[in-house]
Amino acid sequence: MRNIWTVFKRELRQYFVSPIAYLVMFAVLLLIGLNFNTDLQDRANFEPADGTVVLSTFAFLMVFFAPLLTMRLFAEETREGTLELMLTMPIRDHELVIGKFLGAWAFYSIMLLVTLVYQGILLSLTNFDPSPSPLQSELDLGPIIGGYIGIWLFSGATIAIGMFFSAMTENQIIAGFLSMAVLFILWVGDLAGLLPASIVSTRVAEALRVISLQSHYSTSFLEGVIRPEDVYFYAGVMFIMLFVTTRLVESRRWR
Amino acid sequence: MIEVQNLVKKYGEFTALHGISFKAREGEILGFLGPNGAGKTTTMRILTGFMPPTSGVAKVAGHDIFEESLAAREKIGYLPETVPLYPDMTVQGYLEFMAELRHVPERKKRTQEVLQLVGMDHRAKSLIRSISKGMRQRVGLAQSLIHNPPVLILDEPTIGLDPAQVADLRSFIRDLRTQHTVMFSTHILSEAEQICDRVVIINRGQIVAQGAPRELRSKLNLGSRIYVEARGRADQKALANTLSKVQGVKFAEPYQNGVVVNVKDNKDVRPALAAAVLENGLELLELRPVAITLEEIFLEVTTALGAEEDA
Repeated sequence: MRNIWTVFKRELRQYFVSPIAYLVMFAVLLLIGLNFNTDLQDRANFEPADGTVVLSTFAFLMVFFAPLLTMRLFAEETREGTLELMLTMPIRDHELVIGKFLGAWAFYSIMLLVTLVYQGILLSLTNFDPSPSPLQSELDLGPIIGGYIGIWLFSGATIAIGMFFSAMTENQIIAGFLSMAVLFILWVGDLAGLLPASIVSTRVAEALRVISLQSHYSTSFLEGVIRPEDVYFYAGVMFIMLFVTTRLVESRRWR
Repeated sequence: MIEVQNLVKKYGEFTALHGISFKAREGEILGFLGPNGAGKTTTMRILTGFMPPTSGVAKVAGHDIFEESLAAREKIGYLPETVPLYPDMTVQGYLEFMAELRHVPERKKRTQEVLQLVGMDHRAKSLIRSISKGMRQRVGLAQSLIHNPPVLILDEPTIGLDPAQVADLRSFIRDLRTQHTVMFSTHILSEAEQICDRVVIINRGQIVAQGAPRELRSKLNLGSRIYVEARGRADQKALANTLSKVQGVKFAEPYQNGVVVNVKDNKDVRPALAAAVLENGLELLELRPVAITLEEIFLEVTTALGAEEDA
């Protein structure tokens, strides 16, 4: 536990000294802001404001930005030779893996928390309007709260996948590219159901939907519904990826 | 403190270590000597618990490195060949992180101590990426000392340093001996000769010789050598001829301005040599023993081994 905490602290601190983390945070918040603004304009006086737009944008951006922040976790240490030292420290391999994972996840959690500023804007817009039109109802908080929990779990899963690829190679670019490709495929997997049944049978499409990362939040958490199977899904992905990553780190000893 | 028995390491088809055995006693500096690719780093990586051996036993401070890996690792300070540093951290931040991983009590205080020990306290706040190669080496060394380990394993610690830094580091390693057992690898033979109590020479995954530098010299029956320089009518060749007839001399050959005499069985032939020079009507200018370097021991043992393999 103590060792996990030590590794966690260093990893998290590391994000705040590296420029790429700030760039990613800047880009994510900027893109979400643009999308949020456009959405707000489109809905004005037609539809009630929707807080989950921020979250679905965040989730989509994660597919591309998570690899940028996880690719260094192990690849950099392998290349710099620091992994050799870490593996001769009196800590267990899984403590190193879990510490790094939690550090990266904490950085994302901070990023996710910063997006609460948009919810604040929505709250002020909806609740302080002096002449509410019938269409301008109060902000629906259920999907927002559920959404934050869901997207938080979702980002944990993407980080675990990104970290796995980082442990696979000492080349950060390859690690980043591979995890981006895999995350993208897993993210759009549920779209297979849109293809004609002659190309993709319904059974295959259903299987793809079940493993797709998007399907486990878009129809549940973002609707304000917390279903245990979705929680298990993300927790399971994290657990399996952490387990495999630990094995991968261990295997460096045998190579 | 370090005990290695029959260590074998195979990388697929390639055998890096063919069952080596050696020991290092407490408070000893053990030099691990060999050409590049001899298996030095492999042995050290096994001893530090970075990777397991294919077979054989390695114990550090009484703990089996494979069975009780964590306990053994706590007793070791390790400086790998590529100094493992995080460029984005400050010197102090890095050392404090290492101290925390090593569960050092009073981290801040201990960090200051080792910084002073390696003479880096004036750069404690600098980013590691901004300090020079020699300083990085010292920070790496500080890292290996942070938990005051009984055993220090240093993989080619002097590589890539300038001569002044090398001299500094060597005397530093010598000073460590009072509290630590030090094992360090090098392919520079004079280095091992200067600072080691014992030397293990390894080549192609096999130990070819081990012992104190002095012992190794006599064990390999290299005898001793004496340099003689004289002035007079006779030239170098004539002098060499004369001196080779002295009793106890193996052979003599011209070298620089004088003659080098190879002596059998460490006999003291100096008086006889001086007498021979004077008897021939020459003036004796210089007569001194020439140390046989590990270079020569090394060449001797490695070529002998090569010859065996070829036969």
